[in-house]
Amino acid sequence: MPKLTITANVNGRKISRETQPFSRLLDFLREDLNLTGAKEGCGAGECGTCSVFVDGTLVKSCLMPAAKAQGTRIETIEGLAKPGSLTVLQKAFHKTGASQCGYCIPGMVMAATSALRENPNADIEEIKERLGGNICRCTGYTKIFEAVEMTKAILAGDSPESVLEEDKVGDSYIGANVRRLDAPSKVSGRLKYAADIKMYDMLQMQVLRSPFAHATIRSIDTHEAEAMDGVACVITADDVPGNDGFGVFVHDQPIMARGKVRHVGEAVAAVAAEDVLTARRALSKIKVEYEALPGLYDPSEAMKPDAPIIHDYAPDNLIKHIPIRKGDIEKGFAEADIILEDDFSTQQVEHAYLEPEAGIAYVDPDDVVVVISPSQNITHHRHMLAEIIAKPINKVRFIMSPVGGGFGGKEDMIYQGMLALGAMKTHRPVQLNFTREESLIASAKRHPARIHYKMGLKLDGRLTAISFDMLSDGGAYGMSSEGVMRKAAILSCGPYKVDNVNIDTRAVYTNNTPSGAFRTFGGMQAQFATESMMDMAAETLGMDPFAIRRINMMTIGATTHTQQTLETASLDRVLAAAETASRWEKGAPTVRGSERRDLCGPDTRQSCTLGARIKTNHNNPRFCAQVA
Amino acid sequence: MLTCDTYHTPHSLAEALELWSKAPEGSRIVAGATDILPWARDGRAGDVHVPELIDVTRISELDGYTVQNGRVRLGAGTVYQDFLTEQTLMRYLPCMPYCSIWFADDQIRAQASLTGNLVNASPAADGTPAVVALNGEIELARLDGEDIVRRLIPVVDFIRGPGQTQLTKDEIATAVVLDTAQGYGGSFQKVGLRRSLVISVACAAGLVKADHDGRLFEDVRLAVGGVGPRPIRLLEVEQSLKGERISHDLIEQVAQAATDTVGSRSRQEYRREVIVNFVRAAIEDALTNQPNVNISFEDAREEHYA
Repeated sequence: MPKLTITANVNGRKISRETQPFSRLLDFLREDLNLTGAKEGCGAGECGTCSVFVDGTLVKSCLMPAAKAQGTRIETIEGLAKPGSLTVLQKAFHKTGASQCGYCIPGMVMAATSALRENPNADIEEIKERLGGNICRCTGYTKIFEAVEMTKAILAGDSPESVLEEDKVGDSYIGANVRRLDAPSKVSGRLKYAADIKMYDMLQMQVLRSPFAHATIRSIDTHEAEAMDGVACVITADDVPGNDGFGVFVHDQPIMARGKVRHVGEAVAAVAAEDVLTARRALSKIKVEYEALPGLYDPSEAMKPDAPIIHDYAPDNLIKHIPIRKGDIEKGFAEADIILEDDFSTQQVEHAYLEPEAGIAYVDPDDVVVVISPSQNITHHRHMLAEIIAKPINKVRFIMSPVGGGFGGKEDMIYQGMLALGAMKTHRPVQLNFTREESLIASAKRHPARIHYKMGLKLDGRLTAISFDMLSDGGAYGMSSEGVMRKAAILSCGPYKVDNVNIDTRAVYTNNTPSGAFRTFGGMQAQFATESMMDMAAETLGMDPFAIRRINMMTIGATTHTQQTLETASLDRVLAAAETASRWEKGAPTVRGSERRDLCGPDTRQSCTLGARIKTNHNNPRFCAQVA
Repeated sequence: MLTCDTYHTPHSLAEALELWSKAPEGSRIVAGATDILPWARDGRAGDVHVPELIDVTRISELDGYTVQNGRVRLGAGTVYQDFLTEQTLMRYLPCMPYCSIWFADDQIRAQASLTGNLVNASPAADGTPAVVALNGEIELARLDGEDIVRRLIPVVDFIRGPGQTQLTKDEIATAVVLDTAQGYGGSFQKVGLRRSLVISVACAAGLVKADHDGRLFEDVRLAVGGVGPRPIRLLEVEQSLKGERISHDLIEQVAQAATDTVGSRSRQEYRREVIVNFVRAAIEDALTNQPNVNISFEDAREEHYA
């Protein structure tokens, strides 16, 4: 294949380097020049982790063929400041805490740099628009915008550089603005995430995934793939030497599909080869014979007697049932003046951390199997992997690389086992970097929940009884389902005093993508139902929604549904703060539309518009200006 | 993953046409490449190997624009960001900046060409309705012996359906020719799943010229995209507004009538509702954006802007 020689000026230095004719600029920078500050968050131009300047114009390097960089001047995050120093903007990111996981930050710093270069006077709306092509999942953007505005003020001479210095901490760190220790490594693009690390003689792994949701694997023929030039090994479930099974609670998931697949995207085989392209081509040579099985996609079907069985150990498809009983539910409803009943459902949600799953495994000279990955649970992973690969615990080592966002989604060991097997089979370092698509299809999601809710109240708003019945779609494997159900049950009735409760949370197996840990761990699904019920109760009883919550809130000394006596309680202060901040007009939450004066206030999010920079070119008054 | 055997970067149109006429089956022309790279990924085309990629962005003949006889000729090298930075283009093509600001983001706009967007012929392409409202034509060039032969086709006819155009083998799109609409107010409406970087579910472009007093519609141009396999020009709506007194009631009337043009096969009801709101908003926004004219509605009503 004819190679392409790219000659360009990169960060002020002339380079001339060979690459593939189809390399993207991102590949050229990361692989050929080892400039790993630009990341591959999506490979499709959606996320902006790969932003770099080409001839002074910011571009997404994943969408630019490397050939387009011929003869250009390229500036990457590594070239913004001299080694060992930071630009004003980078310092501002450090100061405001704009970097959290840090994975979006090189791209975000580049986009912010571009925004201020293009228009040093850009107002906040224009700054937001100019950063619109870069996604952050940690910060909610506020701290990033603060950093850009701080920089703008310093560069304009409106603000002294001293604002970049760390605030003095008084008697307590609580409430003090403390700079993150790791921010300089993130804002400069120096920090190496797992996909940024290279090891000598390292192989690249790619994974063959199931197109079926539920199917028996009749056979897997890997001969042709194994015979290909550049392929070091092909692994399947047959390569697992020990007890194959992992999971946060129940160890029901094999490293790769064993005998059958249970969801679309489940790993079936993996190839380790000299490069990604060879590995991908080898995947297409693996022949898998499937026999489709009836699928189970609706959690309410899962517990019916004739439902397909997903795991032999659980013929009822039940992953976990958490029941909580307190008081006398019949008596509670008998005492109620009104009973409200409703159903709620929530959807599957992807974490969408900017860093797709990535990792490296190798076998060290002492036969220790080492796995480097952004795992949120390395100790547990280490113990599980030792069992799976039949090694004593001191021969398994996990190194946690910087986590480019997890939010619970990196608690499950969905690929570290394959890496370990690849390294053990080849005795070479093996790296696996998920694509965004792969991350979406293979990683756990927030549990979709269906909740049947029944609430009994007195006419004065006091709760007498709650019956809470949640059915969650656990998907194909148990993962964190048990813990999520426990948390959902504990938080189900909210921070409210109820003498009589009946709580059931259940997670069941289906052939959907597995559900796992995700921020609040089941609490959000439960609270959506509970708080909606509280609002509907207020409406039914003609009460103010803050008032009905104050009547029922737990205070110091209250006993929770799980028999814990509260020594502190803050709901009164939370409600007061929310009421003030929302400028709430007291009264029942019946619809008064435009009569409400607490809507559309100065801090309300405005409707979606774009074009801040166009509008500044126009002097035409809006309609309203004429009317006024 | 997109792979190729050879990546060509011709420096003249003749060279590009020569390469293109000899390129093996399956080869592709690339301009900004912002569509082809995401296309060759899992969930869309998957891994794709093409023999040759011919990059037309280093051809100086395709750069820049000219204005002549009431028409703007945009070279195929014109990218979306140009409509936000070139004051001349902003003035002559008043709906293009609004179209552009809703198109992808600053970084992609710096690469993505208007011509490439039209040639890809996605029913959801943002550029199509804006170009159709500007009576746009696309220029296609091919080699005839040593000579370069060019033809012009109205964009509304050029796009035959999703991904289908009248481009024939050996032809390369070299320019887009548009009406100048200086003094018009321009607007662009878009519905998508989020604000930045999103493909349209439906979109619409408007151009409106009111008289000096801001009382009468002198000219109106409206086009919608994403509601059918081809772009739609709302000629009946335009006709029923021309010469009429500007009023909210009239705009509402024509907006309701416009829904009959919806041809989309999916989510028809939703798209019909969108069209009513689009037509209304496209006209009203364009009126607002018309330079140096204060619009006087016959039935002026108080607007609430918080």
